[in-house]
Amino acid sequence: MAKNDGGRGARISPVRVLLSNEFGLIVLIILFAVIFASVSPAFLSKFSLYALGRTAAVNIMIGFSMMVVIVTGGLNLAVGAIGVGAAMTGGLLMEAFGWPWPLAIAGGLAVGAALGAINGVLIVRSGLHSFIITLATMSIFFGVMIFLTQAQSFRGISPAFTGFGRSKLFDVLSPLLLVSVAVGLLLSVLFRLTALGRELLATGANERAAELSGIRAHRMITVCHVLSGVLAAVAGLMLVARTGAAIPSMAGQLGQDWLLPAFLGPVLGGTLLTGGRLSVLGTFLGSFLVTMLTTGLLLMQVGAFWVQTWLGLLLLFAVLVDMARRSFLSRRKLA
Amino acid sequence: MSGRLRDSDWFGPFLVTVLAVVTVTAFSPSFLSPFNVQILLLAISVNAMVAFSQMIIIAIGQMNLSVGAIGGLAAIAFGGMMEVWGLPWPLAAIVALCIGLLAGLANGVLVAMTGISAFIITLASLSIYKGINLGITEAQPFYAIPQAVKSIGNDTMLGPLPWLVLPCILVAVGLWYALERLSIGRAVLAVGGNAHAAELSGISVRRVTMIAHAVSGFLAALAGIMLVARLQIGQPTIGDDWLILSFAAPVIGGAVLSGGRISVAGTFFGVALVAIFTQVLVLFDIDPFLVQIVLGALILWAVGINRYREVRARRQLGVAAP
Repeated sequence: MAKNDGGRGARISPVRVLLSNEFGLIVLIILFAVIFASVSPAFLSKFSLYALGRTAAVNIMIGFSMMVVIVTGGLNLAVGAIGVGAAMTGGLLMEAFGWPWPLAIAGGLAVGAALGAINGVLIVRSGLHSFIITLATMSIFFGVMIFLTQAQSFRGISPAFTGFGRSKLFDVLSPLLLVSVAVGLLLSVLFRLTALGRELLATGANERAAELSGIRAHRMITVCHVLSGVLAAVAGLMLVARTGAAIPSMAGQLGQDWLLPAFLGPVLGGTLLTGGRLSVLGTFLGSFLVTMLTTGLLLMQVGAFWVQTWLGLLLLFAVLVDMARRSFLSRRKLA
Repeated sequence: MSGRLRDSDWFGPFLVTVLAVVTVTAFSPSFLSPFNVQILLLAISVNAMVAFSQMIIIAIGQMNLSVGAIGGLAAIAFGGMMEVWGLPWPLAAIVALCIGLLAGLANGVLVAMTGISAFIITLASLSIYKGINLGITEAQPFYAIPQAVKSIGNDTMLGPLPWLVLPCILVAVGLWYALERLSIGRAVLAVGGNAHAAELSGISVRRVTMIAHAVSGFLAALAGIMLVARLQIGQPTIGDDWLILSFAAPVIGGAVLSGGRISVAGTFFGVALVAIFTQVLVLFDIDPFLVQIVLGALILWAVGINRYREVRARRQLGVAAP
């Protein structure tokens, strides 16, 4: 709710709460859970819920990775390429170099941060839009990864690491989902409570105004891209923990398969594409809803091949509803 | 005159293309063998349609992520109608082109009516069109392509000139004429240059947006159909790898992504350059995985040059760069 006006002291009317993205998402999640559970009882089985949480964990991280760049008013098409690059680095360090898994993960995260930094520096230095820069780096990062690995997978992943990805808490909960929750909390603290977070938001809302009030806007944009790279790396490494292998094609050609989940989460969650406003909880719920819909549609056997069409329609529906909601709110404010 | 030539958008890519051809031929004379030229022209013909499809959207200052998805949908519709319904190929081609046109128009209507950024709309429609493609084909290709279509896609009409060059030339000349000489073309560039000013001078931005997206869909479908003819198979994966190329060629050709400035000839030479680079990697037995890196580097190089030219032009006018 606070994200709606960014001010803590603002009066919160019940209408606003009911029309907030987060509330709408929770309603939708409950609604679809009831529908899926009544159509197919298998939806509520322990394994199904466990698998749902595990998949959602990765999608939430992908959503976060895009969210922190959208907040600057830009975007990062290279999230998939960075995620796979980091995952392959982790796999390489574990299999070929025999590093213990915490070190290998640190290596993967470092690669994610470095690739994000390359994006950030190129964007800031050239003054070009992040779209074209990250389109180019998406091709370059993925190309370098494929060239170095020769499209081979790493399967010698440390058993401790894959064990973590496959373990269950209380029979239903994946520890990966806890990682996503923890990262979400850290991001909330960053954007709500720290000076750095406020400066990032200010830069996204109005770069020039931020610059004039003493914020080093260019540095803030670079920070966001580094953060995005790290979060994409976390998503990639989670996928390695889940599948037990680092596979070059795990995000599709050039990492394009991550683009839709990356935008669906933040957009459903009410992150403004023009920058300056974000909702960590919204992104979390949005990505969770998307994962649940995918799982549910698969369970209802609508045909695995049609799922993509439904997700596309969902994105379209979400932006249209968001538009209607916003015009309703602005009319109320005027009245 | 030489100054004007140097400042034109197409001259740089043209010069680099000529240089590349000369250099490569010096190292490997077989580069200009009729067979190789034919292969090169086939690649250029199809890829030029892909690039033009994106170029027309860049012209109005937007982007179309669904170019590949529309191309793929038209391609499998073309193959499917011939194999499953037994339609004669010209009819199937026309229907497939109409599908592309409608898919593009749907993008245009959504962008124009809602005012939501074309990026999000076409990201959603990319997923919708690709999903329909996979839903229909279940990822299996259509194999029964008529002989007539196969020969159009692979035979030559004159020397090393393949038949597929014909639609490419027609489209290129048509686009150039429309953009340079017709009022609708000028309107497209005006909207890209400054939508607000265009609206004030009596141009319907909505109508232009819809027309541009419809043309883009049509060209993407044409590329998909041409690729079916060339590959002799209705592959559901057609279009999956068009995204980078579709932006690379117009940008190499001097297009400014904020809109209003594109060059048909420049885009064409952009396509030629990419095709030559790809061919060189094959010819000299260099790792084909490097293609992606080369494409990405070409985009960075091109946007860098465009940016430099922009800054220099502003400086000459005595205006500070933004």
